[in-house]
Amino acid sequence: MSIIEFEARAAAFPSAAETSLVSLHDVHLAFGQTEVLKGIDVEVKQGQAVSIIGPSGSGKSTILRCMTGLLRPQRGRIQVGGVRVDALKTASELIALRKRVGFVFQQYNLFPHLSVLENLTISPIKVGGLPRAEAEARARELLAKVRMEHKQNAYPGELSGGQQQRVAIARALALRPELILFDEVTSALDPEMVGEVLTVIRELVQDGLTCVLVTHEMRFAEEISDVVYFTEAGRIVESGPPARLFGAPASERTRAFLQRAVGATPLRDAAPDPIQTYLHIDPLRLAV
Amino acid sequence: MANDLVLPTRRSGATRLWLPAVLRDPWLALLLALAALNLAWAATGTAPAAVQALWHWWPALLRGLAMNIQISVLAMALGTLAGLVVGAVSLSPSPLLRRLTRAYVLLFRNAPILVLVYFTTYVFPFELALGGWRLPFPDWLKVVIGLGLPASANVAEIFRGAIQSIPSAQWEAAQSLAFRRAQIFRMIVLPQCLRRMLPSWMNLYASITMSTSLASLVGVHDLVDAATVASNTVSRTDFTILVYFTLLALFFAYCYPIARWTRYLERRHEHY
Amino acid sequence: MFESALQAWVGFFKPLGLNYGFVLDAGELSAFGRGLWVTLQLCAWTIPVSLLFGVLIAAGLTSGRAWLARPLQAFVEVTRNTPTLVQLYCAFLVLNMLITQKLGGGSPIAPFAWVVIVVALHKGVFHAEALRAGIEAVPEVTMEAARSLAFSRRQILTQVQLPLAVRFALPALVNNLVDLVKMTAIASAIAVGDVTYESIMIWSYRDNVLELLLLILMYFGLLTWLVGLVGKWLEERLRMPGYGQ
Repeated sequence: MSIIEFEARAAAFPSAAETSLVSLHDVHLAFGQTEVLKGIDVEVKQGQAVSIIGPSGSGKSTILRCMTGLLRPQRGRIQVGGVRVDALKTASELIALRKRVGFVFQQYNLFPHLSVLENLTISPIKVGGLPRAEAEARARELLAKVRMEHKQNAYPGELSGGQQQRVAIARALALRPELILFDEVTSALDPEMVGEVLTVIRELVQDGLTCVLVTHEMRFAEEISDVVYFTEAGRIVESGPPARLFGAPASERTRAFLQRAVGATPLRDAAPDPIQTYLHIDPLRLAV
Repeated sequence: MANDLVLPTRRSGATRLWLPAVLRDPWLALLLALAALNLAWAATGTAPAAVQALWHWWPALLRGLAMNIQISVLAMALGTLAGLVVGAVSLSPSPLLRRLTRAYVLLFRNAPILVLVYFTTYVFPFELALGGWRLPFPDWLKVVIGLGLPASANVAEIFRGAIQSIPSAQWEAAQSLAFRRAQIFRMIVLPQCLRRMLPSWMNLYASITMSTSLASLVGVHDLVDAATVASNTVSRTDFTILVYFTLLALFFAYCYPIARWTRYLERRHEHY
Repeated sequence: MFESALQAWVGFFKPLGLNYGFVLDAGELSAFGRGLWVTLQLCAWTIPVSLLFGVLIAAGLTSGRAWLARPLQAFVEVTRNTPTLVQLYCAFLVLNMLITQKLGGGSPIAPFAWVVIVVALHKGVFHAEALRAGIEAVPEVTMEAARSLAFSRRQILTQVQLPLAVRFALPALVNNLVDLVKMTAIASAIAVGDVTYESIMIWSYRDNVLELLLLILMYFGLLTWLVGLVGKWLEERLRMPGYGQ
């Protein structure tokens, strides 16, 4: 192992001294007889952007839902912001957790009977106890951030998918969470709308908000992440900084997935063929 | 994109007696229990007086129920034939015909059934004079017509709804296969329509059957009338309670299986 | 003035073969007027009570508690599969009689109240079915979104589930209410003085069944039209713009 790789590894698994906002340790979760998570270890530091990639059914969304207490594991330790999530029992404890963790869904899930502004103010008012004027001011600020302030009185049914998703992101930010989770938020969008949503997420990451993304947008994940986790069949196969995971994946399965996911073209220059390097063979010349 | 979320959990542990759904129904168990109780009473001769009176009146009650069933079947037959005609006319290209059928349907769906039954009973003559013949026009037949009218209006609506629920894409597909309009109707649209109409039609039949109880208010000797007569004749409090709840139970015994079968058909044809 | 209007009315219909002479008799006219008023009162009472029963029954059915849901389910099945008239008889002729006997004469529940209770319960069952379908039509993902926004169970119910369930169930509820208005005619069977009963009294004396039935049909038509109108207004108010596209 070279010194560069060692330092990269150390960066991915922080020591106890650094603030770890989320940590999952040996999490097992099964639905009935089906095991979905078979021993997951995830670590997210304060201010980091972490991406989770992998084939469908590998348990990515389940990991996110465990972080906010929407699903409960059979075994393992989940710690979010100093709170043992897997040990939470009462509804009020879960509610206290969810005030600190924002969640954005694949299917936007805006409330169809409320206008955009009402969608954003309902949680701060009913849960946060904010007065209406303050909640609305905060909501307008967030809408400006996602560039949807001109649609504050529209209803979700009147918006496009990309617009609804941006409002959903603003809604998740309404309670000023410490952590925000994105569950395949661009998968249900038409291609031309994906860009506007990714722009919003990029800005949030640049602002220093701790984000965990489950995504199929490989290039985007490579661009903004500090750490990338690759899951398959309920286990973390590989994790590390995006440069290494996308450029020179250690595991064969990661490589196979990336090839399938991004087509045959690798994101970065793949590791050079060792035979070519050794024999100094230039494939172009050979073709002559 | 597959969102690996909540997979259905199988309830582990509980073993279930393998019986078809019909036999596991608690109402059937109740019926069998009551039958067994009656047998026990009959065998030992220890039936309470009210129950013995009920056994005495049982044939009369069943004759009354037969009258209700007779009325409901005929009313439904009449209503279905008339309703299919009205429904077909309501889809006609002529705006006048469409408006007429709409008025017909509106009238008979918004009128209280009791009022319609009074209408046909009191307004029609009590006997018909056709040519030289004088035919008695029995009350129950008038109730049949009185119930057949709202039945036809409902069948017309059900039929129209079923035809319109066939996606136009199917009409287009059939036309592109060089079928004529009548052929499309007969071979593709109609079979699907009939399947879609069936649950609503059966719901309507159950509702018409329950409306036949109104016949007792215009002097028809149906089940309700039989129960009232029995109660007034025997004139015992416990018998009155028993006979009226038996009345409830008899209607239930007829209508509940229909409702169950309807639900079964709905589930089976969900994907059509 | 009123007298002459009535005279004109009678005179107008006479050549058509319709005898509206009863309106000229003060006693019969006021009896008919009372009947109209009683029917209106029946509707005014039964509609809100049936909606209340509907909400209670729906809450019980979806509560997830077997000791509550099972008996309610049995009650729902019995009510849906037996005629309202028979239910009314069971309530009035049997239960009322028992109460009268227990209290030694004079049941505190008037026949009018019995009609309201029985019809409201009968239609309440149908309301409950519609509301239950509405509650189940709220997408699970919307509930999940509400949970992720730190709503408590009660807040999810009142802020998300109920508003959406009512909007989904509204057409069915309005249909049920139209049926309910028509069902109040059944009150005549236990001698409650609604418009049908008063008409029976009048026509058994004057034999003008057709004329009275036409009036009754128009009156019920008016009432059902009003209910439909209120339903449409509510549907407009609670509209979710762009939903379902």
